[in-house]
Amino acid sequence: MKIFFATDIHGSEVCWRKFLNSAAFYKADLVVLGGDVTGKAMVPITARSGYWEVTLRGETLRIDSKSELDDVMTRIRNSGFYPAIVSPDELTHLGQNEAAVGERFEHEMISSLDRWLDMADGKLRGGEIPCILNGGNDDIFEIDNVIESSPCVSFAEGKLMDLDGFSLVSMGWTNPTPWNTYREAPEDELAAKIEQLASLVPDMGRAIFNFHAPPYGTGLDEAPALDENLRPMHGGAVMKPVGSTAVRDAIVKHQPMLSVHGHIHESRAIKRLGRTMAINPGSVYGDGVLQGAVLELDKKKAKVSRYLLVNG
Amino acid sequence: MATESVTGTPTLFLRNATGLVRGWSVRDSIIYACLATNFVTLGIYEFTFAGPAFPQGQFITSIIISAILVSFLVVAYSGLIVTIPRAGGDYVWQTRILGGGIGFVMAATGWWFILWLWAPIYGNILSVMVFQPLWATLGSPSGALWFTSKTGIFVVCLITIAIAGILVSLGMAGYARIQKWCFYGGLVAFAVVIILLLVNSHASFVSSFNYEAQKIFGVHNAYAATNAAANKAGYSTYNIGFGPIGPTMLLVPAMMFFILWPNWGSTLYGEIRGASDFKRVFTGMFTGLWMTVLLVIVFLLLVDKTIGWGFYQNLNSLDYNATPQFGIWPYPFMFAGWLVHNTAFQVILILGLSLWFFGWVGTLFLSSSRVIFAAAFDRVLPDRAAEVSEKRKVPFYSLILMLLPAAGLSAVYAYWLSFRNYTLDATLVIAMTYLVSAIAVVILPWRKPDLWAASPASRFKLFGVPVVPAAGWVTIAFLVFDLVEWFSNDSYFVNNHDSLYFMGIMYVLAIVLYVVARIVRRRQGIDLGLVNKEIPVE
Repeated sequence: MKIFFATDIHGSEVCWRKFLNSAAFYKADLVVLGGDVTGKAMVPITARSGYWEVTLRGETLRIDSKSELDDVMTRIRNSGFYPAIVSPDELTHLGQNEAAVGERFEHEMISSLDRWLDMADGKLRGGEIPCILNGGNDDIFEIDNVIESSPCVSFAEGKLMDLDGFSLVSMGWTNPTPWNTYREAPEDELAAKIEQLASLVPDMGRAIFNFHAPPYGTGLDEAPALDENLRPMHGGAVMKPVGSTAVRDAIVKHQPMLSVHGHIHESRAIKRLGRTMAINPGSVYGDGVLQGAVLELDKKKAKVSRYLLVNG
Repeated sequence: MATESVTGTPTLFLRNATGLVRGWSVRDSIIYACLATNFVTLGIYEFTFAGPAFPQGQFITSIIISAILVSFLVVAYSGLIVTIPRAGGDYVWQTRILGGGIGFVMAATGWWFILWLWAPIYGNILSVMVFQPLWATLGSPSGALWFTSKTGIFVVCLITIAIAGILVSLGMAGYARIQKWCFYGGLVAFAVVIILLLVNSHASFVSSFNYEAQKIFGVHNAYAATNAAANKAGYSTYNIGFGPIGPTMLLVPAMMFFILWPNWGSTLYGEIRGASDFKRVFTGMFTGLWMTVLLVIVFLLLVDKTIGWGFYQNLNSLDYNATPQFGIWPYPFMFAGWLVHNTAFQVILILGLSLWFFGWVGTLFLSSSRVIFAAAFDRVLPDRAAEVSEKRKVPFYSLILMLLPAAGLSAVYAYWLSFRNYTLDATLVIAMTYLVSAIAVVILPWRKPDLWAASPASRFKLFGVPVVPAAGWVTIAFLVFDLVEWFSNDSYFVNNHDSLYFMGIMYVLAIVLYVVARIVRRRQGIDLGLVNKEIPVE
């Protein structure tokens, strides 16, 4: 069985489109997106009388036609941002009201995800190509029900799934980050969540851990050391492990065949922990490149027979 | 939540999300660029060769011309950094824009193999700028001479490799902390040199030089003796000035040995790229580069005033002709320290200036380890190359791939005298890698139009012409000029057969590695061509 695993596309529409085409491109039997589906930023487009106005990377653009507007919105979406068309009054209100920004963000995230799932319906031939998604620490909880309701995408968070004889368990929660995001928990709580999932697995020799947080100190979790202002220290030359000790302990204890991770975008790496192959394909969603791992699983030998990290 | 605004109007709303880091500080960037274009170590080292090789060339003019040209490289690299802001630099940019094979060959040669040669060069710098002057100052000229012997050079090369290897093994965390202090400490020591040269007269220097040379080396009337020896050898130099331009331009490829590296460290930036990123990246590298130029010009003018330009070049010419005045390398900062007749002061000054060496030597194999890891994850190298030991986190196999060849090449460097002349090979091979990255910059708007359109770098235009690709063209032109000179002019010691074989072997090795990897992986059912193949969007 061939699996394509990608992660952390953070609202990049071009990466989502590539993900939907990845099964055909890599001749994969199954595609998995390992969390952090939603974007981090929203770009306001101000509707004025007869035209629109937007500032992209410091440059203010005047948009005179609907087709031009569509092009700009596509550019914004492809970068992983959400375009939000607002009136001048709305923009002023958003500028002064943090709660209103939060609400608008949520609205844009949900509607964008709805659109994405509609696209998936066509591309994945109505569920003929299995596609699995789960949340990541940056994803709001409201997306769970939206994905659950899709007819062609399976929501994996907190579940055991049978993949033609292999068991997949998924968890989007991570150890705490400096950004205080949605699905974060202390290590002991993470360990409890993992143990609950692990108890569902019938045969660890055929198990795949799909945990958003990478295992601590494995090279899959190297992020720039930051100062108190979240600025990279020492010119960004110093990296430090920021993964989860609970995830690492669980892998070492249960020894699944494979564990796939994300979360730390710059830490594209592979590490063997005993018999487990742990992989973080990393993410460069901002460049419109879909990084991923093409994994061939040998059903008889219960092992990863081939793998390749790709920049699709 | 955070908001970016232009004149009070919100233009971007950011929510709390992982990885929203700010770019590293411009001050850090300036320090890195300044340490990379390391005048105190690389610059001074190169001057010993450049002056005698091109006696009619004018240093200050050539350094200004070199820095203007390298400024275009800074613009081109700033464009790449903000467009594809990834650790990995040239390897990532070239593989992404030009393809996996080209990316691997240029990165492996420019950031891995050629560092095997930089190891003995750094070793020799450690010998001539630290061990030789220290032993001499401490009253053991014979001990200093030992460091000029073949075994002495080899031992110091091994010490250098060991220092760099240990620092790679320990990780950058501790080292990065001391790097800044090394920079500031070295700067203070350099300031002391400047003050000494400023407040003392030429006559005072001549007298001090004669006194210390007699005391340490037993050479009588050494200042006049140096000039006489150089004149006897037929060497004559021009006064410091600004022309003629022809011979001065020939100094430019030599100056690249220290001035070509302001872009060395700036590859890590945040994901949410704003309009200010390009300016910040550019400002850090540009300021670092021109700070170096300023330091060099001030130093050279003071050399002319106090030491005497002709005398400085005479010292260099004697070393160039393998007859150094005191048997050891003519370290100008040691001679400046002789203005104070106090051994402790002289030792402290040498150690203070050595901080710029120790603050940079730890990065010697850093790029190599990154390239080796990236190539292993791309399945070009065996998986083991990226393995890190469980207990001590030491990248054991990649260290072998860096240290053993470097030690081997150090032996060749130490025991085969003519090989030491191929110093500029170390610059040439990296310049080739830069050239390919400059080509990548130029074709980026056509190869990756969406990526380019989304980049803050695409905004910068002059008379409607995009600045970054234009800077890429100028970079290509000046690197081609350098390459043509290196390959055609015997004075750089690059274009002889052995040197060309040495560099050719590196490229052949990289190509063979890549082709073998493609074949082996294909037999394993893995298509390496897929690594960088873009998935269709529609």
